[in-house]
Amino acid sequence: MLSSYALDSQVIQKELCTGCGACQGLCPYWGSSRGRTICYYDCERSDGRCQHFCPRMPTDLAALQKKAFPDETVLPELGPYRALYLARAADPEIRGGAQHGGAVSALVELALREGLIDGALLTRAKDTLDPAGVMVTDPDEVRRCSGSSFQIPPTLAVLNEALREDRLRRIGVVGTPCKTLAVCKMRYNPLPDNDNHAGNIRLVIGLFCGWGLDWDGLEALTKRSAPSGAGHVDIPPSKYHSIEFAPRGGGETVSVDLDEVLPLVRPACRACADMTAEFADLSVGGARSADGWETDKKWNQIIVRSKTGEELVALARSRGILEFKDVPDTALDKLKKASLGKKRTAVRTLRERCGGLGYLAPNEALLPLD
Amino acid sequence: MEWTMTLNEPGKVCLMQGNEAIVRGAVEAGINFAASYPGSPSSQILGMLGKIARERGFYAQWATNEVCALEACIGTSLANARSICIVKQNGLLCTADALHCGAQHGVKGGLVIVTSDDPSAHSSTNEFDSRFMAMSADLPMLEPTTMQEAKDMVPYAFELSEQYRQMVLLRLTTRVCHGRSNVTLGPLPEKPRALRKVDEWERLVCVSYRHTPMLETLDSLQEAFEACPYNHYSGPGQPKKLIVAGGTGRLYAEEALRRLGETDKVGLLSLASLWPLPEKLIVRYLQHAEDVLILEEVDPFLERNLQAIAGKNRFHIRFAGRGDGALPRIGELTPELVLAAVSSLVGKSLPKRAAAPREPLLERELNFCAGCPHRATFHLLRRALRHEKNPGVVIGDIGCYIMSSQEAGHYAYQACNCMGSGINLAEGLGQLTAYGLEQKVVTMCGDSTFYHSILPGLINARYHDSNMLLMVLDNSATAMTGFQPHPGTGITAMGDSVAPMEIRPICEAMGCKVAEADPFELEKTEALMTELLQEPGLKVLILRQPCATLKSKQQRTKPKVWVDQDKCLGDGCGCDKFCSRVWGCPGNSWDFTKNKAVIDPVSCVGCGVCAKLCPAGAIMVEGGEKA
Repeated sequence: MLSSYALDSQVIQKELCTGCGACQGLCPYWGSSRGRTICYYDCERSDGRCQHFCPRMPTDLAALQKKAFPDETVLPELGPYRALYLARAADPEIRGGAQHGGAVSALVELALREGLIDGALLTRAKDTLDPAGVMVTDPDEVRRCSGSSFQIPPTLAVLNEALREDRLRRIGVVGTPCKTLAVCKMRYNPLPDNDNHAGNIRLVIGLFCGWGLDWDGLEALTKRSAPSGAGHVDIPPSKYHSIEFAPRGGGETVSVDLDEVLPLVRPACRACADMTAEFADLSVGGARSADGWETDKKWNQIIVRSKTGEELVALARSRGILEFKDVPDTALDKLKKASLGKKRTAVRTLRERCGGLGYLAPNEALLPLD
Repeated sequence: MEWTMTLNEPGKVCLMQGNEAIVRGAVEAGINFAASYPGSPSSQILGMLGKIARERGFYAQWATNEVCALEACIGTSLANARSICIVKQNGLLCTADALHCGAQHGVKGGLVIVTSDDPSAHSSTNEFDSRFMAMSADLPMLEPTTMQEAKDMVPYAFELSEQYRQMVLLRLTTRVCHGRSNVTLGPLPEKPRALRKVDEWERLVCVSYRHTPMLETLDSLQEAFEACPYNHYSGPGQPKKLIVAGGTGRLYAEEALRRLGETDKVGLLSLASLWPLPEKLIVRYLQHAEDVLILEEVDPFLERNLQAIAGKNRFHIRFAGRGDGALPRIGELTPELVLAAVSSLVGKSLPKRAAAPREPLLERELNFCAGCPHRATFHLLRRALRHEKNPGVVIGDIGCYIMSSQEAGHYAYQACNCMGSGINLAEGLGQLTAYGLEQKVVTMCGDSTFYHSILPGLINARYHDSNMLLMVLDNSATAMTGFQPHPGTGITAMGDSVAPMEIRPICEAMGCKVAEADPFELEKTEALMTELLQEPGLKVLILRQPCATLKSKQQRTKPKVWVDQDKCLGDGCGCDKFCSRVWGCPGNSWDFTKNKAVIDPVSCVGCGVCAKLCPAGAIMVEGGEKA
């Protein structure tokens, strides 16, 4: 099947496209506009990096996982697992602009400063809107990319272009679960006759993700809720059932009922079974405390999945880049529960939309579903 | 060839194209005025007239459109001028109102309208049979078969026009326009006809009470056509089998009868006076006939009219022709088609001859020329529209860019009507965007079309602020018909330099929001296009880049474009022959031995756009004047 047709019929038409950008930046055929993946012209090749990298095209996920994480313990609910930490950036300035504890910005800055990586693929937004991928080589630039936009910009297009250039040889990637899966495919399942210099990817930091939102819908909502622009957008724990817009430069946070937001969820995200970015070296997300949201609001949970991830966290600890606190006994179970929740939604969606679970379904044998 | 147009050697035989013969005929008729808008197959006529106009003391004009041309001719007729107006079938349709009104008020100085039909629509969007216009407007129409007739009929038509104070239509078809044969020159008048001042009480006014006199004129013309020297008959005096032919059909029929050895047995009535039909002449040969074959292009015009005459006279005749399945319903007549129809009429056929083997021709779609700016425009439009949530609605128009409906323009548009219609189709759709149509509306026109018939539509769209984008593809030329001057070019048919009328200030004076860009500046222009699509209301985007054919005529040296095949990705992932397969310029070819791209140095004009598009940066551009 033609690559462009394969992606269109199996991913875009089925509303499975996450907009990650893995198919872009490789050729003149694919591009995107405001979160929508666009095929400009048909490519007549029957295989291609676009469909090879797409996180929603058929893949033996278990085999991929074995290739990428040969030694790890795999938790059925969370994927490869070495350790779980509760941490935050030691630098209060990083924390100030961060979504939660600023651990990702701190780790990426460290990796760049130490030369572990020479470029970091990050996302930069304008007041949480119009996010775009950037390849950052200056450690001081990293913190400008802090914070979540709740959209999925096609940042992997920027990665693909950087890999094609082959100028940066040690690239770190930060991205949502769909992106970490695509990057894992790039590294461990390259196209036989064109590896796209995927060996230049050295570090992958995944971000916990519930879903991304439609760009236009979110923009309209943001402009309504924070007319002067939102400095920060966050979603408190589910019992609050809201999304919060903090206006840029201070002022009262506006809380919007989540029911206004849910229709804006990208359909593809409903079919995604990965909340914790199971194909990353490190996965980082917000922390939830049994003592209430405020307690751990400014902390991160970090799942260490690989040796590379472990070494980076150890380095951060030894350099005092990250501050740690004890992980409550209940944390891992809470995380598993949340992860399973997303997997269940995915299973339901896939059944509805694709008439079956297909290759995207999580390992059912391991999951106490329905 | 132009010397034959003005050579004053009566009796000399010259080889002439049909279009040249018309020019020569006009010169022999001593015309004072000629006007036309270019259209194949008769585009060359006014071009040649323009070149000899000064020498022969008449005025020639490439008019902004056919209506301007015809109405100018009607105006000059008032001053007793002999005027010739040259249009193609679609142009004649454009003039419909002027033609019908003009028929009612008639003319003073002779006015001949040369109209060329394009059977099979070789260089048209559609076939049309302009004989129906003569019938509809109650105007006399003549049709030549040979180049000699084409020349001779022009002075003849002028004489009729003046005698009956009526416009005369002279119908040509593609083969008559473009064929060549010997023409014996007639004498040239010493000078064009003398003009006469317009008398205070002279009137050329279209009013309803002129209807009856007009019909009476037509009756007189019918009587005159009974003796029209260009109607011919050959064959038995009382033919049982009769062929009635007009135009090319006559020559094909003569050939078929000769080959079948039936010349003496079958009657052949060739009609040059197509409207009004010489009924008595027709009846004379029809009355004994049992089988009649009609040979004509395009529609069964003679066939239906002869059937009516037969019916009126209670003849029992089997008619065969385009309307009766003996010949295809559409398209040109060919000697083979006519031979088959005549064979079936006479009940005898030629022995079959094995056709000589022929190399099969490759199927090839129409394409933009190498380096054509339209290719870049439609590449950018495709990309810009893909950025939209919903697919856009694109409306085409008439010009080279009509080929954008095919692969050359990535199947750009959904609708295309006649010349100048794009703005109006889009205007309507643009209004619907306020009523639930969630699509961007785009239309286009060339520079020549802009002047020809976009202006009133643009005024309408601007006044009603239709939500749409008009792209004016300004390539500084009426390229499709052969680079005739238009009001933007600063030159006239007679070679005078005049002040060009710029498109931008015209649009701005209307109050349109106007942007201008170069389609070869890919990124910038795509961004501009995308931005304009987001803006509400009427937008005009002028895309300026001269026609590649025009430029390659002017440039002395062209840049050398070549492919670094070591860098070229060929059909590999990341390219898949983007330059030759998608971009599709004839200059971008494929090296089958190496499986890499290659530039065809003959086709390439050196525009260098493919070098900007090559995903591997493998196309190099060196030196030369940039095309």
